[in-house]
Amino acid sequence: MTNQMHIPNLDQACAVVLHPVPDQVATLIRQIKAIGLTVSHAWPDLPASSITADFIFYDTDMGHDDQFPWEPGKAPMPMIALVGAEAPGRIEWAARMGADALLLKPVGSSGAFSALLMARHSFERRQSLNGEIKQLRHRMSARQTVVQAVALLSAHGKSQDAAYDQLRQMAMAWRINVEDAALRIVENANDEGNLRDCN
Amino acid sequence: MRRNVDLGVLYSTTGTYAAISRAVSRGTLAGIDEVNADVSNPIRFSPVIRDPGGEIGRYAPLCDDILANSGARHIFGCVTSSSRKEVIPTLDRTHAMLWYNLPFEGFETSNRVIYTHACANQHLLPLLSWCFGNFGAAPYLIGSNYIWGWETCRVARTRTDEAGGHVLGERYLPLGQQDVATLIAEIESLRPRFILNSLVGASSYAFLRAYAELGRRDPHFRPEQCPVVSCNLTEAELPLLGEAAEGLVSVGPHFCPYLSPEGRNSSFEDISRQSVHTLAAMLAAQGEQPFESFIAEQGAHFGIDPATHYSTLSVDVAQVRQGVFEVLHHWPEVAPDPYLTRPKRHPGIAAPRLSIVSS
Repeated sequence: MTNQMHIPNLDQACAVVLHPVPDQVATLIRQIKAIGLTVSHAWPDLPASSITADFIFYDTDMGHDDQFPWEPGKAPMPMIALVGAEAPGRIEWAARMGADALLLKPVGSSGAFSALLMARHSFERRQSLNGEIKQLRHRMSARQTVVQAVALLSAHGKSQDAAYDQLRQMAMAWRINVEDAALRIVENANDEGNLRDCN
Repeated sequence: MRRNVDLGVLYSTTGTYAAISRAVSRGTLAGIDEVNADVSNPIRFSPVIRDPGGEIGRYAPLCDDILANSGARHIFGCVTSSSRKEVIPTLDRTHAMLWYNLPFEGFETSNRVIYTHACANQHLLPLLSWCFGNFGAAPYLIGSNYIWGWETCRVARTRTDEAGGHVLGERYLPLGQQDVATLIAEIESLRPRFILNSLVGASSYAFLRAYAELGRRDPHFRPEQCPVVSCNLTEAELPLLGEAAEGLVSVGPHFCPYLSPEGRNSSFEDISRQSVHTLAAMLAAQGEQPFESFIAEQGAHFGIDPATHYSTLSVDVAQVRQGVFEVLHHWPEVAPDPYLTRPKRHPGIAAPRLSIVSS
């Protein structure tokens, strides 16, 4: 992620505003349209088609889990909480749903653009961190496999250092990472009871 | 029977940007005179004039004063974005309208403001694409140290990066500072392909004079090699620059095609004047409807985009040649995109940009 916040192309992007009183979000809807998005209003439930929306604005005063066609915190797009009562329970719920940005009600003639940029930024950062975490978890869980593979390779009297070096060279030759190479070696050993295919 | 309508006028006619204030103020008053002189016009305006004297803290109280002590529901006023931001809360509270007649950075669409001049996709983006095409994407960016300078340079920087170019330098001067020696020395050593100047007032005049001098010393810095380009230079400031204006490049909805005395006939002045006529026509047609909903329904008939309150404008890139702006490139109709989120409205930018929209 770069620090620079690029202005996204929002032409034909669409937003859904989930709020019980359309009149109270009329100025918000005007703002969203001025920014270039198409916008629809929904209450009480988000229609299933919302899954393709680019942004969701959702009321925290009256909102509850069942309105959303996905699990709390699993929204597949940036979410912006419309906060009225600043009661801690409501903020907590807004956070649990996965708010990427907040807008305080009543919404006047500004705020939507910063919320959109901030929400998209937070959402993308979260996505990329999640991806990174997944990858690191995978590598961590593969540590045992690497130890096994090194043990297998050093079974023929090689030192551990030499065995690890061999593993790295095999990974390079196969154009895969060390963890995947180790897995291949261990699986081969399990399947065939020896290392001949790997050498 | 003509209806008499109070019209607020809130410009600072003194201060560092006085030349610009005078242009919009003059245009507004000329428009009022023209409407009043037209006996067939059902509207007659009485101007209610207040002058904040360039003091930022006086805009909101004087805006209040106009609205509380006269019948005015519309105000022509504000030059800087910060002064406009000062009066918007008052307008929100009183449901009055501000007519803002100058180019600015955009990123604002108040329901209480009509933005009659250009936003960045109608000035900066076409200017940059013209510069990249003619001089290369290696600019030096300078601006006054406030939001206009920062945002203009910021957009220029991202556009330069996207064009595969390289920003050679970026400097900000405090408002009013006239010591430009360091700036000139840096430009001289970096040798950019063009200079984007977002300085305002005295700093800008000092810089432009020093740069003209640099051009006399080193031909690389003559306008045909490395021009100074700007989004906010108009006829209004040419008298203050004299010879130093020669070769400067600017962008705007239109320029005066002949030598105009005393900096008259700038687009600032002209758009202010036309806006008074637009307002008169709108008031005549408004009836009992609140102005806000009247714009939402009828704004397009008066050239105002109901969604944003901005206007579709033509865009000219022009260069000062013998004291007159000569148009070098013309785009006929550019729809406003105040948040720069709609690339289809960005003239001259052909390359597709990254999109978050899955289609």
